[in-house]
Amino acid sequence: MSRRGARRFVADLLRGRRPRSFRAQDTDVDDLRAAITLRSAQPGSGVPREEFVADLHQRLADQLAGKHSTEDAEPVRPARVDTTRRRLVAASSLAAAAAAVGAVADHVLTTRTPAPDGVAGPQTLVPNTGSWRTVAASADLTEGGVQGFDLGTVVGFVSRTGGALRAVSGVCTHLGCRLALDVPTRQLDCPCHQTSFALDGELLRHQLRVPPPALPQLEVREADGAVQIYAPPGPA
Amino acid sequence: MVDAARRVARMARGPGQGRSSFTKSRAEEQVADEPSAGTPLLRVVSDEFYPDWEAVYRDNVARVYRLMFAKVGNRPDAEDLTAEVFATALRPLRVSASAAEVRAYLLVTARTVLAGHWRRTLGREVTTLTDEDSLEATPADAPTSADTAGRAAAMLAQLPESYRRILELRFLESCSVREAATAMGISVTYAKVLQHRALRAAAALREVSE
Repeated sequence: MSRRGARRFVADLLRGRRPRSFRAQDTDVDDLRAAITLRSAQPGSGVPREEFVADLHQRLADQLAGKHSTEDAEPVRPARVDTTRRRLVAASSLAAAAAAVGAVADHVLTTRTPAPDGVAGPQTLVPNTGSWRTVAASADLTEGGVQGFDLGTVVGFVSRTGGALRAVSGVCTHLGCRLALDVPTRQLDCPCHQTSFALDGELLRHQLRVPPPALPQLEVREADGAVQIYAPPGPA
Repeated sequence: MVDAARRVARMARGPGQGRSSFTKSRAEEQVADEPSAGTPLLRVVSDEFYPDWEAVYRDNVARVYRLMFAKVGNRPDAEDLTAEVFATALRPLRVSASAAEVRAYLLVTARTVLAGHWRRTLGREVTTLTDEDSLEATPADAPTSADTAGRAAAMLAQLPESYRRILELRFLESCSVREAATAMGISVTYAKVLQHRALRAAAALREVSE
């Protein structure tokens, strides 16, 4: 009577309950998969509960500290480290590793490495192949001034504060929306999720679960009466 | 202590090769049983590192959860499977592995955990984590992945109006049968029948599109 099992599975899904186990037939699988696809598109459903995140954190901390030797106190589901698992992991690891690695290739320019002391500091973007490209005349960037630039390959903002020039990326480190300069407050606002950065790249404000990193810095100099950024060559 | 993430990464590169690349022939040789191993030359490019396991957890717990929710469609199972992934993966994990390596390892673990879940509960692999699923593709704080919403939207768009409506009300808006029936101006009994037929139609669509 797997039809009944499948119906009950769907009913449980709709009530937000854990679906009960049953011996599924091949004919059930498509129905169940369609139900899961629809249900997982429910707005907000992909966000874990805060309590769950905190509770699991605690359980993992206990486990890693070696406290979960016995079965009491609701241990994290014991890892069934059997040979099957190991074999499966081995067999499926390469493709997954490849997929994950491929996916980060595009992000490398904006990722950052930890500073030597382990605290992540701002990262300076230094392209493998670059040149000094003029973004403003020195005279146009006076003390306290800010100017946006778009070199095709990189966008950003250059500012002069206390006589020193500083340039930061103009792309939000969260999901890549282009930042806009808010002149009165002298901050860079993300149009997407109300994230704001200071002109030195530091995060000022965000409403995200995990704070996004500071903006990458760009190398900037002043030469021949021009403010220049070290950036990759522009698109042909 | 087993250095699992490194092991995964080493396998991906193959022995005797540089830290940052592996070749296609090597890849195909090692995953002959993986259907989609046509991976072109890849390079490990992320030099991002996690300072400790807590950073691994904080950065990835929402991603793993979302991935799992998309595959099981309910919170209790998604929570348990997420817990199982971290409990299994964190112990052998050395955080000196790069973020990309750590995520690759978490994904591999998640795949195994999900397969075990279906084996235990239904005896059929209803959903799987494929090479197209990635922890990178699910930013830590998006409400649902665009991918998940897109698949559901594409499915609904192909259905007749009444089917589409009942599925939207029940699955996406979480209405009760009674609420859905009222919204559509039909009887509760008919709403149940309609929902069942609509889901069957949606399931049939999927078969065609895949």
